[in-house]
Amino acid sequence: MSNWVLETKALTRKYKEQTAVDAINIHVSKGQIYGLLGRNGAGKTTTLRMIMGLVKPTTGEIEIFGQNIQENAKQIYPRVGSIIEIPGFYENLTANENLEILARLRGIHRRDAVPYALSRVGLDDEPGKLVAQYSLGMKQRLGIAAAIMHEPELLILDEPTNGLDPIGIQEMRNFLLDLCEEKQVTIIISSHILSEIEQLADIIGVIHEGKLLEEITIGELRKRNRRYLEFQVSNQNKAVLLLEEYFNIIDYEVHEKGNIRIYSHLGEEGQLNKVFVENDIEVSKIMMSEDRLEDYFVKLIGGRVSD
Amino acid sequence: MINLLYTEFLKLKRSQMLLISMLGAATAPFVCFIAYLNMKSKKTGVPVLFNEVFSETNLYVVLLTGVTLYGVIATYLFNREYTENTLKNLLTIPVSRISFFMSKLILLLIWILLLTVVAWGLTLIFGLIGQFEGLSLTVLIKAFKEYIVGGIFLFLLTAPTILVTLLFKNYVPSLVFTIAITMVNVLIGNSEYRVLYPWSAVLVIANKDFFPEYLPVYSYISIFTTSLLGFIVAIIHFKKEEIH
Ligand SMILES: Nc1ncnc2c1ncn2[C@@H]1O[C@H](COP(=O)(O)OP(=O)(O)O)[C@@H](O)[C@H]1O
Ligand SMILES: [Mg+2]
Repeated sequence: MSNWVLETKALTRKYKEQTAVDAINIHVSKGQIYGLLGRNGAGKTTTLRMIMGLVKPTTGEIEIFGQNIQENAKQIYPRVGSIIEIPGFYENLTANENLEILARLRGIHRRDAVPYALSRVGLDDEPGKLVAQYSLGMKQRLGIAAAIMHEPELLILDEPTNGLDPIGIQEMRNFLLDLCEEKQVTIIISSHILSEIEQLADIIGVIHEGKLLEEITIGELRKRNRRYLEFQVSNQNKAVLLLEEYFNIIDYEVHEKGNIRIYSHLGEEGQLNKVFVENDIEVSKIMMSEDRLEDYFVKLIGGRVSD
Repeated sequence: MINLLYTEFLKLKRSQMLLISMLGAATAPFVCFIAYLNMKSKKTGVPVLFNEVFSETNLYVVLLTGVTLYGVIATYLFNREYTENTLKNLLTIPVSRISFFMSKLILLLIWILLLTVVAWGLTLIFGLIGQFEGLSLTVLIKAFKEYIVGGIFLFLLTAPTILVTLLFKNYVPSLVFTIAITMVNVLIGNSEYRVLYPWSAVLVIANKDFFPEYLPVYSYISIFTTSLLGFIVAIIHFKKEEIH
């Protein structure tokens, strides 16, 4: 038994000639929020469909809770909740009736399961409203309620913020963070928006044209893409000395020809500059680095990872 | 299975389909009633017999309205899970695909029988209103049997329509298919081939109106093979199908 909640092994799916998902190895450990990040058409939905057993892999394997999904579907899926693409509901029924159907088929006997799930996503104030009259955002929230109703240990969410307004997106984020913290639910969430994933995930899997380019923790990502102050100075050694002696800065890098990158004291470039100049160091350039996370992904997948 | 069936009923809440199907089931009794009233007013001497009205109505139900109506209901039951994107919710619970399929079939059978009883009941009520003659318990029971037999066989013959629905996931091909079936019914309704064509064979069996040239077993074989083949292929397809 592996210690992953979910693991894919060389998971591949072909549609005729096209390889929608290409030998990807995903690793998700317990209690983590795993962000699957990729542009439209990257293969996120296809991957999640395979994970939920709706689509069969061409080759490769999926293990959830250490068990192969094909042989153990009956044991695995009652412990999983999901939204794949747009959530679907019976339009002639209310939210409550829709969830009632799922609760019954799931064998949930707790009578408060449905009202509880609805109240958690804030859909409990209009009990008589039919799903036909729901906005996309409301349907998305109902989808979440359906996905968490049975208190799953693993939650698979395919772009769940589609159709939500900015407040809705923030609510969703807080909700998922709470869920992860309170109940140690493991969450896999896909998105094509970097900023959204960055604020939520513990680890990001970058998928592009069907390939998983990288799995990287947020910590590592931030470290690798830390922001810095860049100074171009005439006297490199003297400048460094000042940084260490005068400002107690140790987190810096010296590059060629008087180029110094300082990873702390962001926003204090004025003061630093003043001290340099007072000590007869010529400063020919001061620059704050861009938010490099975005650059990093652009480099990785060649394009913008946002709308 | 009980839970699945229960949820199938719940899904029909506020659905217009139930009412529409009732209206659909009422057309044959109503049209026949009007036709016989008309005849009665023209040929005053000749009595209109219940026996005859029941048979005539069942002929319209089995050959015309039933095929189309039950086909539409079957299509509705299966197709809505695709159009409303609900199938993935159920299958990831996970619900057994076979049980799910079966629960739909059971609901369809109940629905068809309900409409059959409606058609029978309306024929009776219209007959009483029109003061038709020759009503007896024997006539009622005989008619009821014929109606129910017709209903059950038409249910069995929804299999190919269900298959078409599962293949195309759209109302239109299924509708075209049921209309084509009905057209053939009309075309061969008076020829001896009606014994062999599964959809017209239903009426032949219900009315025990066999031809001496063809053994009754041919009619049964025709219906059962069509039904069985349809269901088997539909279930195999549904079992293997990927949900996109
Ligand atoms: N049912 C299908 N038939 C053929 N191609 C498909 C099908 N589903 C997805 N694809 C293709 O697979 C690729 C990945 O799609 P998808 O997984 O939906 O991407 P994402 O969810 O990341 O936007 C796309 O190029 C898409 O066109
Ligand atoms: Mg997608």
